[in-house]
Amino acid sequence: MAAISTDGLTKRFGEDVLAVHDLDLTIEEGEIFGFLGPNGAGKSTTINVLLDFIRPTAGSAQVLGMDAQAQSREIRRNIGVLPEGFELYERLTAREHLEWVIETKDAADDPDEILQTVGLADDGDRAAGGYSTGMGQRLAFGMALVGDPDLLILDEPSSGLDPNGIQQMRRIIREQAEAGTTVFFSSHILSEVEAVCDRVGIMNQGELVTVDTIDGLREEYGGAATIELECAALPQSLAVHELPGVENVTVEGMTITAHCAAPEAKVDVVEHVAEHTDVLDILSTEASLEELFNSYTGGGRDGRPSQREEPADPEEVTA
Amino acid sequence: MSSLAVARKDFKDVRRAKTLWLVIGLLGLISGMLAYVFRGSTGTPDSEVVQNLFYSIAGINAILLPIVVLIATYLAIAGERDSGSIKFLLGLPNSRRDVVLGKLISRLGMVTVAVAVMFVVALIISLVRFAVFPIGVFVGIFAMTVLYGAVFVGVAVAVSALTSSRSRAVAGAVGTYFVSILVFFLPGINVRAIVRFLHEDLLGLGANIDLYQFVQYVSPFFAFQKALNLVLPERMQNDFFKGERASQATQGGQGAPGQEGYEAAVEAVDLPFYLTDEFGLVILAVWLVVPLALGYWRFERADLG
Repeated sequence: MAAISTDGLTKRFGEDVLAVHDLDLTIEEGEIFGFLGPNGAGKSTTINVLLDFIRPTAGSAQVLGMDAQAQSREIRRNIGVLPEGFELYERLTAREHLEWVIETKDAADDPDEILQTVGLADDGDRAAGGYSTGMGQRLAFGMALVGDPDLLILDEPSSGLDPNGIQQMRRIIREQAEAGTTVFFSSHILSEVEAVCDRVGIMNQGELVTVDTIDGLREEYGGAATIELECAALPQSLAVHELPGVENVTVEGMTITAHCAAPEAKVDVVEHVAEHTDVLDILSTEASLEELFNSYTGGGRDGRPSQREEPADPEEVTA
Repeated sequence: MSSLAVARKDFKDVRRAKTLWLVIGLLGLISGMLAYVFRGSTGTPDSEVVQNLFYSIAGINAILLPIVVLIATYLAIAGERDSGSIKFLLGLPNSRRDVVLGKLISRLGMVTVAVAVMFVVALIISLVRFAVFPIGVFVGIFAMTVLYGAVFVGVAVAVSALTSSRSRAVAGAVGTYFVSILVFFLPGINVRAIVRFLHEDLLGLGANIDLYQFVQYVSPFFAFQKALNLVLPERMQNDFFKGERASQATQGGQGAPGQEGYEAAVEAVDLPFYLTDEFGLVILAVWLVVPLALGYWRFERADLG
């Protein structure tokens, strides 16, 4: 049985906004799945459908083998949720928050133990209104852990956390996963997904653009690399893009930047350019998953569509 | 029962709001001051003075209580939607019905406390001053006032369930007060005259006093005052809706209170069932149930993003 599966899930808000389009996603039991994408990619909308906060326009979603709409209450009995963009009940203490969750879930947890786990042992009796964002996030995470859920749904869990808090959360997530809990968490930060996830799915503009393991993604991107050459002068026609293994070339001022599919191509680029002009400086960078992420999402909201990685277009190459 | 868990948590949360206690303190102060200065005309027995006192407190509440209840309740659900804390509420195994019911129970508890404070303060002061305790009238008016408050709790929870943001909930609360109370006795707006105009001038139908009176009666404000008759001794009951018929029946249609035959005519008026005191309870029940059902129905289907 899959922990989460969606089938042609589509959510439209009004006439114009297509938040999620025809999403088919399967998350297996026991895995840590990272749900990646820039703001507005449709991650939260998808999670909101899983929790029955919103109803799909078309398609369906199943959580723990149950229909997300018809059996929502039963689903929520067996999952832990860390929502995004919440406010706590400012007049209740952390302990009271936890006691309420324990009562509602009919669980047997000890509030103190959970406060300890999420690092709030000394602040359990303070009203949550005085908490920092990070402390609020810790409490919300603790609330999600109540009742030993089969599935944890964490929406942007590390927002507001300090590096210590992030470390601690990762450790808890791994422990939960080892104990058999499925973890589904969304993020717009690749590095945090990279550190804990077995598999990732990348959303962009309402569509799932890829699902793969981190290693698979790395492999797919190969030993791809970028090389930047600062030249003394730019010859008329270099035709760097015609070299084997070179995918894309851009020229800015006196700097030639070549994206290569394989590291070997970098040497060819340097040799080729050096034959025609003096090379003043060389900067070689290995492709990061960050670039991969950007290539799938076009740099998110801040990226122009033209920055999207596309096969070398001769028109662009003037060198 | 998850709704009880929701109610308990909500009550715990709200009872720590200082403004709530400030308002309840003010209400207690108002009724305390009224009890302190209240006096009857010379010769009125003390027991009747105290009965009149509690009737006056009900009269104050007829206008004041809806304001207090609406302010204390309009954010019950909309506020949680606005702040996002509803994601905790509904991320747990609570149904949306639990949320509406839980909020309703908790806020009903609160309005009961507020009304109880007013009545107990007045009771203590009147006991000190007059050493009489008209228990029947006290309990009756208290219960009817709580019911009246409950109607507005229901309406306010409904408004809160229907709206997705604070600003809309404010508009809903103000609108509710306007259509349920103000419109029926604001100078310049005469609901009765409007209905009479529609009925007689536009539709060309004959005069129908009962209809015009009923239109007024749909206000919870009037329904409360009429229903109060059910718990008052005869001498304190008011003759809503009977006066017009009585004046038509006496002095060639020009009858007025105090004139010969008028009182007897009032006694003789046989109101249709929908203008009786008992029907006031029906009207209050409709105000309690219908908006809530509508609010719940919409909330159940709303996208909470």
